[in-house]
Amino acid sequence: MTALLEITDLSVDYGEGADSTHAVNHVSFTLEHGEFVGLVGESGSGKSTLGFAVTGLSKPPARVVGGRILLDGVDIASLSSDDLREQRHGGIAMVLQSGMNALNPVRSIRNHFVDIFRAHGHIDRADWGTRAAELVAKVELPSSVLDRFPGELSGGMRQRVSIALALSLEPKLMVFDEPTTALDVLVQHAVMDTIIELQKRENFTALLISHDLGIVLESAQRVLVMHEGEIVEDAPSRQILENPGDDYTKMLLSHYADPRAEVVKLPGFEGRTRRAPAAAPPTVSSRTRRQDQKAIVVEHVSKVYPAPRRGEPQVTAVDDVSFTLEPGQSLALVGASGSGKSTLAKLITAVEKPSAGSVRFGDLDVGSLRRGRFRQLHRDVQMVFQDPYAALNPLHTVEYTLTRPVVNFTGLKGLDARRRVLELLDTVGLSPVEEFAAKLPHQLSGGQRQRVVIARALASNPQVIIADEPVSMLDVSLRAGVLALLEDLRQQWGVSLLYITHDLLSARVVTDNIMVLNGGRVVERGNTAEVLRNPSDEYTIRLLDAIPNPGRRDVA
Amino acid sequence: MSTQSIPPSTRAVRAIEEASIAPAPSPLKVVLRVASTVWSNGKARIGIIILGLMILIAVFAPLLAPYGARQNGFDRSADASAAHWLGTTAAGEDVLSQLIWGAQISIFVGLIAGLLSTVIAVLVGLSWGYVRGFGADVINFIVNLFLVIPGLPLMIVIAAYLSGGGIGMIIVVVVITGWAWGARVLRSQTQSLRSRDFVTAAVFSGERPFRIVFREILPNMTSLIVGNFFGAATAAILAEAGLEYLGLGDTTVVSWGTMLFWAQNSNALLTGQWALLFAPGLCIALLATSLTLINFGVDGISNPRLREGKQR
Repeated sequence: MTALLEITDLSVDYGEGADSTHAVNHVSFTLEHGEFVGLVGESGSGKSTLGFAVTGLSKPPARVVGGRILLDGVDIASLSSDDLREQRHGGIAMVLQSGMNALNPVRSIRNHFVDIFRAHGHIDRADWGTRAAELVAKVELPSSVLDRFPGELSGGMRQRVSIALALSLEPKLMVFDEPTTALDVLVQHAVMDTIIELQKRENFTALLISHDLGIVLESAQRVLVMHEGEIVEDAPSRQILENPGDDYTKMLLSHYADPRAEVVKLPGFEGRTRRAPAAAPPTVSSRTRRQDQKAIVVEHVSKVYPAPRRGEPQVTAVDDVSFTLEPGQSLALVGASGSGKSTLAKLITAVEKPSAGSVRFGDLDVGSLRRGRFRQLHRDVQMVFQDPYAALNPLHTVEYTLTRPVVNFTGLKGLDARRRVLELLDTVGLSPVEEFAAKLPHQLSGGQRQRVVIARALASNPQVIIADEPVSMLDVSLRAGVLALLEDLRQQWGVSLLYITHDLLSARVVTDNIMVLNGGRVVERGNTAEVLRNPSDEYTIRLLDAIPNPGRRDVA
Repeated sequence: MSTQSIPPSTRAVRAIEEASIAPAPSPLKVVLRVASTVWSNGKARIGIIILGLMILIAVFAPLLAPYGARQNGFDRSADASAAHWLGTTAAGEDVLSQLIWGAQISIFVGLIAGLLSTVIAVLVGLSWGYVRGFGADVINFIVNLFLVIPGLPLMIVIAAYLSGGGIGMIIVVVVITGWAWGARVLRSQTQSLRSRDFVTAAVFSGERPFRIVFREILPNMTSLIVGNFFGAATAAILAEAGLEYLGLGDTTVVSWGTMLFWAQNSNALLTGQWALLFAPGLCIALLATSLTLINFGVDGISNPRLREGKQR
């Protein structure tokens, strides 16, 4: 049997001439009929560029500069856009990461199917309805969704609809570009299961592009590992798992572990997992200015938002939550999206006011703090943001960004302030400090940006740091470094840490205690290791099950 | 990581004098990059060339103009000739000279009035976008008031009220009637920027609202403000010409607007002196067009997609 897709020596550049970037560099591989292949790489590895080139969707400034893409012996790169459109029927279909946002909000789901049927005319008009119902049934949706509008469906349902739309032309090859990345953890798991089931049943060839080696190893038979525009490893999943050949693959694999294990080891965290729980907060000579250590006390706090539309019930984001964050403690707040964990962070930092209950920091009543008095709170309670790309003003240098809180909170000026800024950069491991101080955010990588964000949070000498998903936007290889930094700061500076995440593995390595939130209520709390190893609530178990784990298929 | 004792790198830093601080990317470079972006747009290039020529003509008017602006005594209402390329007015003045001298007033009023109304639009728009509650409602009421009042009648009423003020009065009138739309546009952009993480982060850094608005938010909408300036300058030039044509300015000053006023007064069209009407009219249109063309290029700064579109 000949291969379905044969790619030889493919190169894709961005830009022209001397400024061009080689995003994909002389890549060759083949896909057999009915195969499920994963393509893994970190951001910037060229995996999406490759996916777009394969489907003939490359857009300027990306240009295919060399090589051939043969689908059933036809070179796709040389097809005109009209021929390419013909070829879509029974050819290649693509499901995008933001595919759920690709639906037209003012057209019903049925109309989306009708558009495709009409354009290709491969189905009789009389059969349109039954065929559309058949397609949505394949992705495990009831036929009633056909009469809904995209805005009425959840993210997971919309992504299922876009998969069904891709299926409507009976493609031989389906390219999934990060199909679940934008979805909530629990939904991710369900959609991935659907894709795997579907592939087995329909027997199309699937190319799954993902940054998450765990997801890929769980679903694919063969894995291509991509690094800096080149494919560094091409091997069956089992071989990658048991006997990875390339150093890069080994590095990726080392960042996966089971949070339920007795001892969890991640690079940067070896031998650190068994520390004494709730040790007395260390005091540090450089922080003698601190008078006393204060706890954050949250008592019976609720937050209710008004109904989104008339006639709908109010939204209870946080429902009667109480906890205390002692000085020097680290507490994980975990839950799927919509569980109220970010709202809780907003309540603690006075960004939002509680509907009921109280939030106190020492003697300070956070809930009734006026806007003008925020400095009082932010001197001691600081925040690390989720998205390092959005949390830094693109027009200010690192030095300016860090100087502002130093000047505002510590009263240092001029050379003293600058010295403090460089000290902060050194603390977060950005050296040579002089060089980094002069940089603008776009000259830094995601991990370096997040370190700057952490340095800014440290500038006021805070007692509490609230980290809202600090690593979820970062590549796997950068995550461990940022987590280790947070952990070091806590141990050495005695900062207490409220770590908000959906990622139980990282919660396991950086926190002592854990609180699991579901629908705004605390469903489980306790020592992190104990809760994760012996979860008692059904929701916690579901969260644990949703974690992609390369080794799981072996166990099963 | 050694934070307890002073880390070696920090010790090294303490010896460093401020003089050795590596400079951030120089503002000059940024300006040059922006300028080349605008220049790379064909329409904007035409606009820049037209505007540049007009400014040169205005600056070097004393050298270029064959006669003085108010120098009369030539044949009245003469047709074009070698001595008077565009003919003379009913008062016996050289039209070409008036046209060259008049460029000074039109460009000056356009740029100053455009600048002032942009400054007001920025001050009002940004603070309006950042404050919430009662204050925002008050500003909203005032801005809406200026937006719903028809512009030209308001201008005429104010100009008649302040009659005899000359160019200064015209600038004031144009600014009063021209800032509101820009303020509304800048306000909506401020509102979208204020919800960004880096603005929240600035609050966490202990920044005062004033600094957040003008140091964090304002630099991120530079291209919008520049675009607003060119739009306001275009409107100011047209408004100035309109007011002077109606005789509401100082009719003894020579500008393109007053040239039209006098041409109309002396029935230039009936006497067949088309140049008297068309030349200043065309100049006004050309100046306004050049600013609008430049705005196409300015759009490209904030929206890279408008730049890449040409490559396809």
